[in-house]
Amino acid sequence: MDQLELNPRIIAAVSRAHLKSAREVLCVSGSDLQRVTGLSSSDVQQLLIAAATSCRRHHPIAALVLHRKFDAGLRLSVGCPVLNQLLRGGLLVGGVTELSGESGAGKTQLALQLCLSVQYPTQYGGLHSGAVYICTEDSFPIKRLQQLITDQSLLRSDVPPSLISSLQFSDRIYIEHVADLDSLQVCLSRRVPLLLTRGLVRLLVVDSLAALFRSEFQAADWLERSKQLLTFSSTLHHLSSRFTTPVLCINQVTDFLSSSDDSLGPLSSSVSPALGLLWANQVMVRLMMRRLQVTVAQGDQSSVLRRLEVVFAPHLARSGRDAAVEGEGVLTSV
Amino acid sequence: MQRSVSSLSLSPSVKVKLVNAGFQFTADLLHVKPLQLSKETSLSQLEALEVLQAVRGETGGGDNGAGGGGGGGGASSSLTALELLQKEEELRSIVTFSSQLDAALGGGLPVGKTTEICGAPGVGKTQLCLQLAVDVQVPQCFGGVGGQVVYIDTEGSFLLQRVVDIATAAVQHCSLLVEDDEQQVAMATFTVETILSNTFLVRCHDYVELLAELHLLPDFLSNHPKVRLLVIDSVAFPFRQHFDDLSQRTRLLNGLAQQLISMATSHKIAVLMTNQMTTRLRGGQSQQVPALGESWGHAATIRLLLHWAGPQRLANVFKSPNHMGATVRYQITSEGFRDVDQSEQPPSKRARKHTVQMAAAREPSET
Repeated sequence: MDQLELNPRIIAAVSRAHLKSAREVLCVSGSDLQRVTGLSSSDVQQLLIAAATSCRRHHPIAALVLHRKFDAGLRLSVGCPVLNQLLRGGLLVGGVTELSGESGAGKTQLALQLCLSVQYPTQYGGLHSGAVYICTEDSFPIKRLQQLITDQSLLRSDVPPSLISSLQFSDRIYIEHVADLDSLQVCLSRRVPLLLTRGLVRLLVVDSLAALFRSEFQAADWLERSKQLLTFSSTLHHLSSRFTTPVLCINQVTDFLSSSDDSLGPLSSSVSPALGLLWANQVMVRLMMRRLQVTVAQGDQSSVLRRLEVVFAPHLARSGRDAAVEGEGVLTSV
Repeated sequence: MQRSVSSLSLSPSVKVKLVNAGFQFTADLLHVKPLQLSKETSLSQLEALEVLQAVRGETGGGDNGAGGGGGGGGASSSLTALELLQKEEELRSIVTFSSQLDAALGGGLPVGKTTEICGAPGVGKTQLCLQLAVDVQVPQCFGGVGGQVVYIDTEGSFLLQRVVDIATAAVQHCSLLVEDDEQQVAMATFTVETILSNTFLVRCHDYVELLAELHLLPDFLSNHPKVRLLVIDSVAFPFRQHFDDLSQRTRLLNGLAQQLISMATSHKIAVLMTNQMTTRLRGGQSQQVPALGESWGHAATIRLLLHWAGPQRLANVFKSPNHMGATVRYQITSEGFRDVDQSEQPPSKRARKHTVQMAAAREPSET
């Protein structure tokens, strides 16, 4: 408070009103400030401007300046060129991306693939760093991860094999198991920021969040659930913007109630992501993965074809691409 | 006509003290000295001085008429309603590329007023904001306003990749319309680069940063008189984080609304803000309503609701002082916010026609 360039008289009036910081001053509405400090309106104006100046992080900046920065349009590659094209480059590095779908759709597969792709240098679509994977339900699929690591050169033909073999993939994936909301909050407020600050990770995966928010609360506790969900979302957003780190939240789906409002989009499927409108408002990019009725054969094995769809995103068209879950990962064979 | 003291823009406690001391009308205060006033009303000297300045400001101005005016700061003069109408007509609205929406809004996004866009996630609120941020820059000889824009982004959804799409399409659209030399010359100043350089972006991470930015904005606007649009995308996001004291949130939102209205009128800009939707339970039925509470409904002069009706996107003007509520269809293409053609062609084919530069393998943009 003392650092503000103001008449000492004003600062004295502010401390008499028990306002200790510029942020606190801004949280009080104009007329309340006058009443509480007893200052005249012109003094209050001066006070607000000084407080605002100290709280402001950046001046308005011309978009052209941002456009010309070297890391403008940075994306995290998904590892498959066709899926990257769907996402116009890959995952956004700022903001929360949600991937929802029925069980067995392939969400965890894609998340694992991202944990590997983040480790490549930026010229190959990575972020040259590791990933932290928060598991809330089943145990982490370590065997599948090993298989993906072994077959990386099959998937990433764009990367020189020498580079692939030089990367110690499993060393840079930090796995956290959280069973309830309290431990999730601890993980997100202590361990994850530490990993991020040290530059050890630049991808945060939460698999999956519906499990935590649905099981813990009965329908009557929706107020408490909303509060927890908003706190969680706020933490994710702050981490994402502070460390320019992509956040991927895996979500389950619930049956689409035909009687409810047409709110969340045209009916392309009979299911919709869990946790409702409150959570949907927090998500910047919403993706869905579906199992199709078609099977695809490779050698003597056949698996069900999947479809990755963009439900909404500020920069993406509502579209989708078919993909298969192969030994080396999730990809679309061209 | 006597003007009563309670209509002056002073704080309520000051007004109460004035009335209690017997000063009912501004005429009573005309010949009073500050010291005398402060003694009789037990106001501080500074407050007494402010009161007298407010009074002198009111009566020093033009003729008294039915027009209100002169409220903010007390130093401006009164205006007649006719003068106000003339001033309003001078301000051109911001034309979008969607003629149906322009018609529903009475010519376009009105300058000098506040407009709110509500809708569920993914329906197109940010798209409309980005579209208008480009449209405000269309040169005057093409029917645009030729202004700059301040874009306050609270969610991080201002993505340059998308802005470049929309800007490129707008430039292309205008270059196809060029008919005379004046327009040809204007096209030199209307390129993707100039559009980006005339867009001032501020990223706010929480409501305190947003409030701080709004306190500092009048100064910025005075230094940048070409700004004609202020976009806040979204107001809801930072204010819907958990507030322990909801009445504090309401007071802050009221103050914010006042600031925006005053900026819109005094700096002649259009203010555009987006809001989220929330579910409200009414006797067993759940309904989607705009977020931020009932009193926030009074903040904007015009309110637009974007929503889905099956596979269609609809925009409904549900609050407007000038026009009856109209509903129009729109679509989001790779080029931005557009009308839906009346032709029978499905949207996918149309998008392909426009975007000849896109790779042939690209799937249709609207399913």
